[in-house]
Amino acid sequence: MTVAGTRSRARGSDVGSGSSSAGPQLLGSAVFLLSAVGLAYQIALMRVLSVAQWHHFAYMIISVAMLGFAVSGTALALARRWVTGREATLFRVTATLLPLALVGCYALSQRIGFETFELVSQPHQLWNLVALYLVLALPFALVSLCIALGFLLRPQRVGKVYFLTMAGSGVGALGVIVMLGAMGPEKIPYALSAIGAVALLMVGYDAGPRGRVLSGIGLLALGLLAATAGVQPIRVSSYKGLSYALQLPDARVVAQEVSPLSVLTAVESDLIRETPGQLSAYPMQRLGMLPEQTALYFDAGAVSPVHRFDGDLDRFAFLDYVTPALPYRLVERPRVLVIGAGGGTEVLNALAHEAEHVTAVEVEPNVFRLLGKELAEFSGGLYERPDVDPVVAEGRGYLEARPAARYDLIQISLLDSFNASAAGVHALSESYLYTREAVELYLSRLTSDGVLAITRWLSTPPRDAVKMIATMIEAAERAGLEPARHLVAVRSWNTATLALVRSPLTAAQVRSARAFASSRWLDLIIAPDLQPAEVNRFTVLEEPVYYDAARALLSSERSRFYRDNPFFVRPATDDRPHYARYFRWKTLPALRAVGVAGWGGFVEWGYVALVATLFQAAIAALALVLFPLWLFGRPPRGEARGGRGPVVVYFGALGLAYMFLEIAFIQKFMLLLDYPTYAVAVVLTGFLLFSGFGSLFADRRRQSSPRPLVRRAVLAIGGVSVLFLALLPPLFEGLSAWSDGIRIAASLCLLAPLAFAMGLPFPAGLQTVSGGSRWLVPWAWGWNGAASVVGAALATLLAVHLGFRIVVLLAIALYAAAAVSMPALQRAQATVIREGEPDPVWKGD
Amino acid sequence: MRIPNLATVFAFCLLLATGPVAAVPEPRALPHPDSPARQQEPDRYSDARARMVREQIASSGWGREAVRDRRVLEAMRRVPRHRFVPEALTDHAYADRPLPIGYGQTISQPYIVAAMTELLQMEPGDRVLEIGTGSGYQAAVLAALTDSVFSIEIVAQLAAEAAVRLRKLGYVVSARQGDGYFGWSEHAPFDAIVVTAAASHIPPPLVEQLAPGGRMVIPVGPPLQVQSLVLVEKKADGSVTQRSLMPVRFVPLTRSG
Repeated sequence: MTVAGTRSRARGSDVGSGSSSAGPQLLGSAVFLLSAVGLAYQIALMRVLSVAQWHHFAYMIISVAMLGFAVSGTALALARRWVTGREATLFRVTATLLPLALVGCYALSQRIGFETFELVSQPHQLWNLVALYLVLALPFALVSLCIALGFLLRPQRVGKVYFLTMAGSGVGALGVIVMLGAMGPEKIPYALSAIGAVALLMVGYDAGPRGRVLSGIGLLALGLLAATAGVQPIRVSSYKGLSYALQLPDARVVAQEVSPLSVLTAVESDLIRETPGQLSAYPMQRLGMLPEQTALYFDAGAVSPVHRFDGDLDRFAFLDYVTPALPYRLVERPRVLVIGAGGGTEVLNALAHEAEHVTAVEVEPNVFRLLGKELAEFSGGLYERPDVDPVVAEGRGYLEARPAARYDLIQISLLDSFNASAAGVHALSESYLYTREAVELYLSRLTSDGVLAITRWLSTPPRDAVKMIATMIEAAERAGLEPARHLVAVRSWNTATLALVRSPLTAAQVRSARAFASSRWLDLIIAPDLQPAEVNRFTVLEEPVYYDAARALLSSERSRFYRDNPFFVRPATDDRPHYARYFRWKTLPALRAVGVAGWGGFVEWGYVALVATLFQAAIAALALVLFPLWLFGRPPRGEARGGRGPVVVYFGALGLAYMFLEIAFIQKFMLLLDYPTYAVAVVLTGFLLFSGFGSLFADRRRQSSPRPLVRRAVLAIGGVSVLFLALLPPLFEGLSAWSDGIRIAASLCLLAPLAFAMGLPFPAGLQTVSGGSRWLVPWAWGWNGAASVVGAALATLLAVHLGFRIVVLLAIALYAAAAVSMPALQRAQATVIREGEPDPVWKGD
Repeated sequence: MRIPNLATVFAFCLLLATGPVAAVPEPRALPHPDSPARQQEPDRYSDARARMVREQIASSGWGREAVRDRRVLEAMRRVPRHRFVPEALTDHAYADRPLPIGYGQTISQPYIVAAMTELLQMEPGDRVLEIGTGSGYQAAVLAALTDSVFSIEIVAQLAAEAAVRLRKLGYVVSARQGDGYFGWSEHAPFDAIVVTAAASHIPPPLVEQLAPGGRMVIPVGPPLQVQSLVLVEKKADGSVTQRSLMPVRFVPLTRSG
């Protein structure tokens, strides 16, 4: 770790004693630590909010809280006259408050009774949301205040401080993943607060008696706070599955495990019966009750049941009545791959259907641990059987890495909860499990007569299963199959199972599927020679919409069907992997017709949240950053008024472009790194760290003209990005078989040059501005911050509609625009203010 | 040099630790709707109720079909819905939307209650079973149509409160706390069953306890967002069919068919 502050003239005795103060000696280390804490806090809060509510709201709230960064920069600039000379004191006070805020704001946020689902029916929930924003924004505002003060205290070493901020953030991103593996997300604010206290000690180290007293009091208050309040548990929304389960009279939490991916809670109750589908035809009196279940809740939401299992597979006859049993009518004694094995329902389904072998792939490592320990007896050692092979992996990555593997059946069933699916909260989460390319991959890993079976929830109006039919049809075509001869699908009242068979369906297979459907009171959606009379018999729809959709998709009407459908039902692709996005702007007017109350049922909450995030980020950026700048950011008397235009273009473009590339490549690298959480952490760390090195490099070269540097950086960014677009997919395929460590190292190596180049333009521009019209420095920071916050939401929205390729190309264009505006930026810096001079440029106070 | 007032720092800590919102109880229980004050008040919502039936339920439009069953409309006009919602929400009781009643449970929007009741096609004297009493509102509407209503609620507090409320308001409902999955075999078979609680599958015992010619209705969708209704009918010969109905229509979909 770099220890900055060697140039400091300040010693303990001159704390806050005027403009000569250079702040704490260990300022650099403190900035580094505080940056790490800030980013770690952000990721930890996202996890907390994903458990408490749903993850899209987590993003929405955090994105606005992050505005704290831009806001505190503006605030400092506005109060510049007052701040001048007090930087060191302010830094110490802020560092003292931060550990308290980390703990206190978290605890307070968990006492606000916010409910996502009530936003539509209960307008007062809006105030709870606002309260959440404010409470969560405070720690971020404090972190960024510290960093901004760090820049003020080291005006000549902006690049170095910037590097420490970036490096600290990068270390924080990685560190919090390690922490999330060791403790629940609710404990992390407390751990981070302790790290904040270490930073506070560094700050107080050379602070003189009063400064030390201040740190002492801060630490004492922190201890008191932690001791009296204790760890505040996460307040889980009362509309989440775990909350419902815990209301059951005999409910008991038998175990809880945490990992960076999820909080896994096992609840035991005689009243838990999570068997989605239709058992109406199941002769319960003859074949017996369903076995007892223990429910596993992932982040208090999605549920996966564990069945009581004593080795007697006859007790699982009921699994032959739900839709995922369909593929077992098409294969005999199969070797099965279950993706998303969870509590083991599909594994038991396979065993009950005499599967020869089951490979159970599960992304959450704690599932197997739980079933091997606390639930070992209950689950009858399901995952220890010789014919079951448990694998901790992400399904797509697992198959990608095994080109030689072949299965008779690949089964993917209902991986998200019904509520989440029906409310469309996943609309902006990308899933590489359900893209057209993924289905092609699954097909290629099947034996010659193997089956791919995917089960989805039915949504009203129909969209989810329709999109999966479209995906399977398009994937089959690309694999050279004639879809109509390879597809068979059934639906119950709330689920649909679609089976895609590698070789054309035989007459015997079709007969067997028909018999299965009618004996289980299920309706066929698609099958060779399907007659209209047999598609709407058991769960009668007003129109046989699924059958109609399948027919349209199999005919030459397909593109018209896509175009005219009120929902977006085109298959997801690796470039646009947002499977759960159905929303189309053109159907918005039609939504008005169903009224406010009906409206809630037809809207994808994830999408609404994304658009709302963009809007509120834009409004907040305007109100809190750009408007104050416009109002108070005037040049000092005698200095030219010009120069704002190039600053706005240059720094605004950089802010947008940086976020565009960062978000696009986080998504892309998810394909290589499998685990989304790890991908985010590794890619984020890589970006921040190497960009930090970039800015350090720019800082070292601050004597020479920044123009050629920026030009070269932008050329490098454009070149590498375009290369990435072309080469990443084959490269990832080649790398997929390697171990985690090698893939992470490879990702970092790939990202290093790009991120390094991306780190250059900002400090180079800032040096230019601060070497000239220094009143423009807040403009640079403000526009960059505002553009970053807006850019994060905008990048996701653009990716949903246009795909990641376009987002990357847009980013390149923005970088080019920045490079082009560089000469104008330089020309505008007419006057040079001599070093060390007081800087009375702010008329606001 | 200024050091911030120590008292401010401590006040800040105290505020964070205890906070003005610390009084929120867990799990969330909303104020009791049957406080004495409310018992006494005259029914000042009868106009709102009449308007609710006229505008939300009995007329087509807003993507929904009108409920036409006169007896259902009369029941909706009579049952004081505002007595079944949390006190803080009394003024919203007749609005066209579902309302939370605590414990993650909801009272369905008036139109959905009416539409579900109409689907049951009840005759006076029919035996009706409700799974998920909640606030008791649906049970009250059922009790206005027949004198043989049975209702089961799993959340003990809700069950107790609803039983008291129904009794006070004079509705004859046999309500108990318990597991609705197995129905209420002592009183089976039922001519109508209404399930208001979330279920991953339609419980086979309920289908069994449905009398020949009987009907069962289940709403489907996340809390506060009913998206479709499933109607299970048992024919005289014991065979069962299900129908999936959209209570609130999304216009372009029905147009394109």
